[in-house]
Amino acid sequence: MAVTNPLGIDLDQYKFGFHDPEDKYAFKSRKGLDREIVETISHMKSEPDWMRAVRLHSLGIFEKKPNPTWGGNVGEIDFNDIYYYVKPAENQGKTWDDVPADIKRTFDRLGIPEAEKKYLAGVGAQYESEVVYHSLREEWTKQGVIFLDMDSGLREHPDIVREYFGTVIPPEDNKFSALNSAVWSGGSFVYVPEGVHVTIPLQAYFRINAQNMGQFERTLIIAEPGSYVHYVEGCTAPTYTSDSLHSAVVEIIVKEGARVRYTTIQNWSKNVYNLVTKRAVAYRDATMEWVDGNLGSKLTMKYPSVYMLEPGAKGEILSIAFAGEGQHQDPGGKVIHAAPHTQSSVVSKSISKSGGRAGYRGLVKVYPGAHGSKCAVRCDALILDDKSRSDTYPTMEIDETDVQVTHEATVSKVSDEQLFYLMSRGVNQDEAMNMIVRGFIEPISRELPMEYSVELNRLIALEMEGSVG
Amino acid sequence: MSSHPSAVTSGLDRDLIVRRSAAADEPAWLRDQRLAAWEDFVRLPLPPDATEEWRRTDLRPLDLGALRPLEVPAPSPGTGPRPQKPRVAGGLPALVGDPSAAAGLRLVVDGVSVQARLAPDLAKAGVVFTSLDDAVRSHPELVRPHLGSVVQADENKYRALNAALWQGGTFLYVPEGVEVDLQLVTGTWLTAGGVAFLPRTLVVTGERSRVTLVELFGSSDAAPGGDAAQGAVRTFAGHAVELVPGRGAQIRYVNLEDWSRSLWEVGIVRAVVGRDSTVNTLMIAFGAGLVKTNVESRLLGEGATSEMLGVLFGDGTQHFDYHTLQEHAAPNTTSDLLYKGALKDKARSVFAGLIRADHGAQKTNAFQLNRNLILSEGARADSMPKLEIMANDLRCTHGASTSRLNDEQIFYLMSRGLPRATAVRMMVDGFFGEIFDRIPVETVRAWLSGAIERKMAGYV
Repeated sequence: MAVTNPLGIDLDQYKFGFHDPEDKYAFKSRKGLDREIVETISHMKSEPDWMRAVRLHSLGIFEKKPNPTWGGNVGEIDFNDIYYYVKPAENQGKTWDDVPADIKRTFDRLGIPEAEKKYLAGVGAQYESEVVYHSLREEWTKQGVIFLDMDSGLREHPDIVREYFGTVIPPEDNKFSALNSAVWSGGSFVYVPEGVHVTIPLQAYFRINAQNMGQFERTLIIAEPGSYVHYVEGCTAPTYTSDSLHSAVVEIIVKEGARVRYTTIQNWSKNVYNLVTKRAVAYRDATMEWVDGNLGSKLTMKYPSVYMLEPGAKGEILSIAFAGEGQHQDPGGKVIHAAPHTQSSVVSKSISKSGGRAGYRGLVKVYPGAHGSKCAVRCDALILDDKSRSDTYPTMEIDETDVQVTHEATVSKVSDEQLFYLMSRGVNQDEAMNMIVRGFIEPISRELPMEYSVELNRLIALEMEGSVG
Repeated sequence: MSSHPSAVTSGLDRDLIVRRSAAADEPAWLRDQRLAAWEDFVRLPLPPDATEEWRRTDLRPLDLGALRPLEVPAPSPGTGPRPQKPRVAGGLPALVGDPSAAAGLRLVVDGVSVQARLAPDLAKAGVVFTSLDDAVRSHPELVRPHLGSVVQADENKYRALNAALWQGGTFLYVPEGVEVDLQLVTGTWLTAGGVAFLPRTLVVTGERSRVTLVELFGSSDAAPGGDAAQGAVRTFAGHAVELVPGRGAQIRYVNLEDWSRSLWEVGIVRAVVGRDSTVNTLMIAFGAGLVKTNVESRLLGEGATSEMLGVLFGDGTQHFDYHTLQEHAAPNTTSDLLYKGALKDKARSVFAGLIRADHGAQKTNAFQLNRNLILSEGARADSMPKLEIMANDLRCTHGASTSRLNDEQIFYLMSRGLPRATAVRMMVDGFFGEIFDRIPVETVRAWLSGAIERKMAGYV
């Protein structure tokens, strides 16, 4: 593999998607969603009764709630034409040797093992709805760090899961959080004990493989006081002709003085509806950081949130969106100041091209009594041609006088002067355009772990091919 | 109130339209337009409060069915303003300021024109400045093509109500090439309570003309001391303004309201700005219990320009909701918006501003800024600047900020020997300063200065 591509992704092949034969699935539910399917999922997983009750309760809410009328067009999703549960192989792989060969082949293409050797503390690679491979370095285990797939988390640590599950994002929150709460499968469970700093990022790869398969992972991260963890979620999916649905819920609890960073590079294939609810609560002097990159999917609606509940809490959201042909990226973020002296910043960079639509939708909310709070929101958009569209919908609700809240947004094209300058230095036009776009997103890409930063730049380069007429 | 024999005491209904239209001898096309709008009014639901546009402003306490029509004696054609004793009521003179500063002045009390004058040279040049009622009869060829073409009846229930039952109103026409240096002013005062007051304004100008129209609104409080929340008798003002500049022409439009607190207003000010034309709007809101107004500049021709300014100052439980639109539908268009709001006590403001650049609107230059100054615990400002951009060769920027008075700066001023009240006043003046500098009408600036003084009285 080329030196500039440490993940070993063969982008030329990757561009067109790849998938494995589907006959290796151990169990595949019938299409559609009803009480029976939900009970089957719960039964297959041998879950405790309370979880089954949560699922059934959530199903009722999902059925009652209407589709959102804002954001993208979700009206085309046929909820009855989706498999809600697919289990690829019977047992979890204990070591790399136990992982089935065809699944390994898929991961080889994504470059996971190589990356792991070099950097990773642990890998929870989600293939379809069940995590099949999981490892965690012994040192973290010794420190009491738990990094499991969510199903195992529920089995092995039912008390912790029960204490926190659904407390940050209740099923009532929105239609898709209700759907996830009813049919969730997989996702990550991370528990970091008091004072423990996990210095190497925890990573999990997710892939959707079966046609018309919904993927509903559920992630719960608990950072005890004074701890630190960086969780990295990367998503890739091969291209298919009919639409898939991905609807995850991510709940994060950042306790006093702790810091959690959650990084996502989302590159679902361009027929996936990516409707995700992500939210963190930050207590006294805690810091929550979302780094959210959206490159793939047909439609993404995802607004990672930070609820700052106690004094000194901080929230930071970095968001990148890239929309090409047929894509609608509607990401954003919410920062909720519910205590004095809380601080937040939101930086969004969106790029739209070839008829794509990208933007930012956000909320800044300052509750009464959250005095001394500060918030700055900055949104920049680049539109690369006259067929594409950029939207910016920030909302500010300020109920407190002693605050500083600012918002700025700019939409512009790639400057002719910059292009001309680079070309006058002998850089060809394609590469010049590429450099400008890379510079545009640099404030965010520099925050990524190195291999992701490189991957992001490669993906952008791939998307930018032929963008100069 | 008038005791004119044609006055009706029933509510707002279809019969009222028919009766009024007949009494005023309106042409059939207008009566039909009104009746069609009435159908829209009946058919359309109240705006659902769940939608983004309406969810921050609750108009449910306003019962349209409980409102009485404003009874105005039908004007007798040809006589112009009635030669009755000038009932220049209440705060109207204070609102108007120095009347000699205006090139034309119309004063209207409870729908009755009590004074109307226009500089003779302008009248001679063909400028028409009259009530819309009169213009329908005197200049149908100027009114008919434009009335209802910019603000349509079927947009929502409030627009439909205005289109069906508008009364009086203002019509301004400036012929090709005529440049009016001094402003034309309408001062409107309302003493009646519990009524639906539905004025309509239409400004049509010819090529390369230039004019400034200042509309001033105020009322005596029918339910004294009644803030929006408690006011039992509610008065409703539903205003629709259509601005149609000619090619290369400039219209400056100033709308200043100092309604009493028992009045709620739902308004629309919309300009369709064609090739090389310019429209400047300035909205000033100090009064009323609740204001929900849309201010829109649709830039439809190449080289169109719009400046949109807003000054709001809320106290008590006042609620101001401004939705603005800068629509760039043609290449090489420019818009520049600045809305500033100060909020005291438990006042609340909502600013939702959209910049939209349509496909093909290359070389658009759009700017939008909303700044809010919160003066009291309990005041609240919601700000929703929005961009929807479908062209790539352009520059669109928006910004919003909400802050309170800077203690350090006040301390500095006080350390130089200024009393706190003066220091605060200077800070507030400074906050509004950048808009003041852009207000072209001296009388409006003077009024604003006094109005801010009054709002700040007793603030520490």
